[in-house]
Amino acid sequence: MYELVEAIIYYVGIVMVILGGILDLIASIGMNRFKNFYLRLHAATIGSIGGGFYPLIGIGLVVLTIHSLGTMKYYVAGIAFTTAFFLLITAPTGSHALAQGAHRAKIVLPEPAVVNRLLEDEEKVEGGE
Amino acid sequence: MNKALAVLGLIIPLTLLYIIYTGSYSLFELLLGVIVAIIVGYLFADAVVKHPGKIYNPIRWFWLLIYGLYYLTIIEAKAHWGVIKLIINPKKMNPGIVRIPYYVKTDYAAVTIANSITNTPGTVVVDIDEKNKKMYVHWIKIIDTTDEGARKHVSETFEKYASKIFD
Repeated sequence: MYELVEAIIYYVGIVMVILGGILDLIASIGMNRFKNFYLRLHAATIGSIGGGFYPLIGIGLVVLTIHSLGTMKYYVAGIAFTTAFFLLITAPTGSHALAQGAHRAKIVLPEPAVVNRLLEDEEKVEGGE
Repeated sequence: MNKALAVLGLIIPLTLLYIIYTGSYSLFELLLGVIVAIIVGYLFADAVVKHPGKIYNPIRWFWLLIYGLYYLTIIEAKAHWGVIKLIINPKKMNPGIVRIPYYVKTDYAAVTIANSITNTPGTVVVDIDEKNKKMYVHWIKIIDTTDEGARKHVSETFEKYASKIFD
């Protein structure tokens, strides 16, 4: 029973690592196919969450089932899990800063765009003053 | 009393994080973790914790666990699949910036919503208006351009859980 659970954890981890590699490849293709800065941010999110967070969790799970490492496996798994946690809460901070900076500096406009409520509201504020 | 509760509420998660990070529970590591956690907790308790009672509420932790599992499996998988389809066929996209109101009270809940929106591929928070409680979200495939309609599609689930966890 215990070995079965261990095998399941091992294969779940392996699948997560392989899936992460595929998602990284797809994200880099998306980076090339999307032609605008804001659209590329979405491809970058796939790279950081699907291609960064999930493989780290997968590595942690795989390492926990390899007994030949001795107590070393807890070090590797602990670092993998904490890195994944910090990646999850700090990756959006960079995206927020990039998007807000690009919009405030008016270097790139989100084109093509169906609606741009932010520009509408900024113009309203400037017109009111 | 309030400050002591806040410091203790920081010491426990910080020590736990340190023990997981180092991966060993020898006496030296435990002592070092606790001492550093006490110093850090004492310095940052005033800035980080406003209502210490919320840390000791198990219902909030339960909702955090449920939200974490639900977000990291189902919501992320759906969002990834949506953007992968657009990468294969970029002609189908419909991008733009929509305005989304939020109704939570604390900063922690607002940050949780913003981080959740940005961490799902397909939506990125561009700017936030704290006075009028509105977020400006770049959405790669717009379904609804009105404020409430966009909120229903993008952030309603996040907001429901964030208000249960942090408000």
